[in-house]
Amino acid sequence: MTDSQQETPRIQRIIAILWPSFLTAGLATGLFFTAFDPNVLLMDTPFAELSRLGAYTIGFFLFWALTMTSCLLTCYFQRPCVFGDQLDS
Amino acid sequence: MPGIDSELVFKDYPRMSGNQSQPADISESLYQKQKKIYPRQVSGLFAMWRTIAAVTLLGIYYGVPWLQWGDRQAVLLDLPERKFYIFGMTFWPQDFFWFAMILAIAAFTLFFFTTLAGRLWCGYACPQTVWTEAFLWIERKIEGDRSKQMKLDKSPWNLQKIRIKAAKHFVWIVFAAYTGVTFVGYFTPITGMWGKITAFELGPWETFWVFFYSFATWGNAGFMREQVCMFMCPYARFQSAMFDKDTLVISYDKARGEPRGSRKRGSDYKEKGLGDCIDCTMCVQVCPTGIDIRRGLQANCIACAACIDVCDDVMDKVGYSKGLIRYTTENALEGKPVHILRPRVFVYASLLIAIMSGVVWGISTRIPLELDVIRDRNTLYRETMEGLIENVYTLKILNMDEVEHEYDLAVSGIEGMKMTLTRDRILIPAGEVAELPLWLRVDPYDLKKRSTMIKFHLTARDNPRLTAVEEGRFLGPTNSGR
Repeated sequence: MTDSQQETPRIQRIIAILWPSFLTAGLATGLFFTAFDPNVLLMDTPFAELSRLGAYTIGFFLFWALTMTSCLLTCYFQRPCVFGDQLDS
Repeated sequence: MPGIDSELVFKDYPRMSGNQSQPADISESLYQKQKKIYPRQVSGLFAMWRTIAAVTLLGIYYGVPWLQWGDRQAVLLDLPERKFYIFGMTFWPQDFFWFAMILAIAAFTLFFFTTLAGRLWCGYACPQTVWTEAFLWIERKIEGDRSKQMKLDKSPWNLQKIRIKAAKHFVWIVFAAYTGVTFVGYFTPITGMWGKITAFELGPWETFWVFFYSFATWGNAGFMREQVCMFMCPYARFQSAMFDKDTLVISYDKARGEPRGSRKRGSDYKEKGLGDCIDCTMCVQVCPTGIDIRRGLQANCIACAACIDVCDDVMDKVGYSKGLIRYTTENALEGKPVHILRPRVFVYASLLIAIMSGVVWGISTRIPLELDVIRDRNTLYRETMEGLIENVYTLKILNMDEVEHEYDLAVSGIEGMKMTLTRDRILIPAGEVAELPLWLRVDPYDLKKRSTMIKFHLTARDNPRLTAVEEGRFLGPTNSGR
C-alpha cells in the first residue's frame, strides 16, 4: 500500500467504485430506455415475456456492472507504478 | 471563476475534524477509524425552520402519490406504460427534451440559491438531511439524548441494550419500508398497492425496488449519514465554485471570539485578554458532520445552522450578545461592504429565467401528435395491373393529446398521386398509437427521378393546429425514356 492509499479512507475508495457507477448507470438506463422500448427490443427473443419493469431493472444492473467495471479499472490503474529506473533511488 | 473560493473558504478539506471532547468510539470495519458522531439535540430559530422544512418535504414526498387528477394519479412516472403524468400534462418518451430541460431548471435554481445564500439546500432541503433528521428523531425517542446514546453504545451487550437497539431498528425499518413503498408508488399506481402487498401479490420487480429503496433509506439515513455528504455528494464537491466573498455562509466571528477560554461567571474576561468564546464546545457537539466551525468554514459543513442556535443560547446564558456564530459573508466579516446584487447573481438569474420561459413556451405550444412513416423494406416498388407504380408504407400515428381526435391525411410531392388506406376514418383515442398501412400509386410518366421526396400531412379535423408533417421517399424505375 502506498501512502496516498492509506490516506484515503477505505469507505471513500469503495464509494469511488460503487457510487459514480451507480449514477452513470442510472443515467444510461434512463437514456437507453427512453430511446428503446424493451418490449420491442425483446419481441423476438426468449425474453419476450419479461415485463418492462423487469427489463428496466435488469438493464440497470447490467449498466451498473459495466460502469462499475470501468470505475474499478480506473482505481486499479491509478495505483502508482514503479519502473526500473526508479527502483535505485 | 477564479479560484478564490477553494483556498480561502475551505481550509480543512478533506480532513475530518472529529470532536476532541467526544470519547473515541472507533469502529474499524468499513468506516476506518471514523468516529461515530452523536449530534446533540438543538432548539432555536434555525432548528425550527429545519423542522418545518423537514416536515413539509416529507409530507410532500409521502402525500403526492395519493393526489388524484381526474380519474388518475396526479403525479405518476408510469414506467411500465412509458408515460409520465404530471398533473394535467402527459410526457412521452418523445418529450425527453422537455424533461431534460426541467432538470436543467432544477440545476440552475440550485446554482442561483447557492451563489446567493450558500448551502441552503444541504441544511434544509436535501433528502439526505431530511431523512437523517427523521432517523435521528426516532433514535432520540428510543435511545434517549446524546449522552444516553453514548453511554448505551459503550455499555456491554445485555438484554436491555438488545431490546433498545432492536426497537430502534424495528421502527427505522418500518419507516424505511414505508418510504420504499411510496417510492415505487411514483412509478406504478399507488392505489391498490397496499392491498397487493398484504396479499403478497405485488409484482416481483416492484417488490425488488421496494426492498432496494428501503434498504438504501435505512443505510443512508441510519448509518452513512454525514459520510454521504462528504464522500458521495457531487454537489458538496463543486459548490465552492459558486461561492464568492458575498455568499451567505455560517461563520464564527474570530475577531470577537478569540482568544477563547473558560472564565468565571461575571469576571471581567476582557481584562484577562479573553474573547467572547467560552470554549464550551457546544457548537461541536451539535454538529451533525462533527466539525469545529471555529476552525473556519469547511467543505463538510452542510450549513444546517445548528451551531448558530446553540451558540446564541449560550451567549444568552452568559449574558453576551448573540451572533458569535452567525449567517454572514466573508466581506462582512472583514468589515467590507456586502453586495447582494452582483454579476454572477444576474447571470444565473437571467439564465434561469431564459430556460424557464423557453420550457413554459415549448411545453404549452408543443403539438401532441407524432407521425412516423416507415417504408416497406421488402420491395422497393411494384407495378400494378394498370401500369402504375406502387409504394407501400406503414404510418405510425401517436395521439399524445388528452382527447380522441379524427385526422385527415394528405400526401404531396408528386402530381396525380393516389392513396389507399385500409380504413375510411383515422380515429385515434387519447394516448394511443395506431399503425396503418398505406399504398401510394403514381403514373410512371409523373415520376421524374428514381427517388422522389414526398410529404405526409396529418391534421386533426377538430383542430388544424394539431398537424404533423413527415418526409418520405417514393421510389420508382429509372425513366430512361426521358
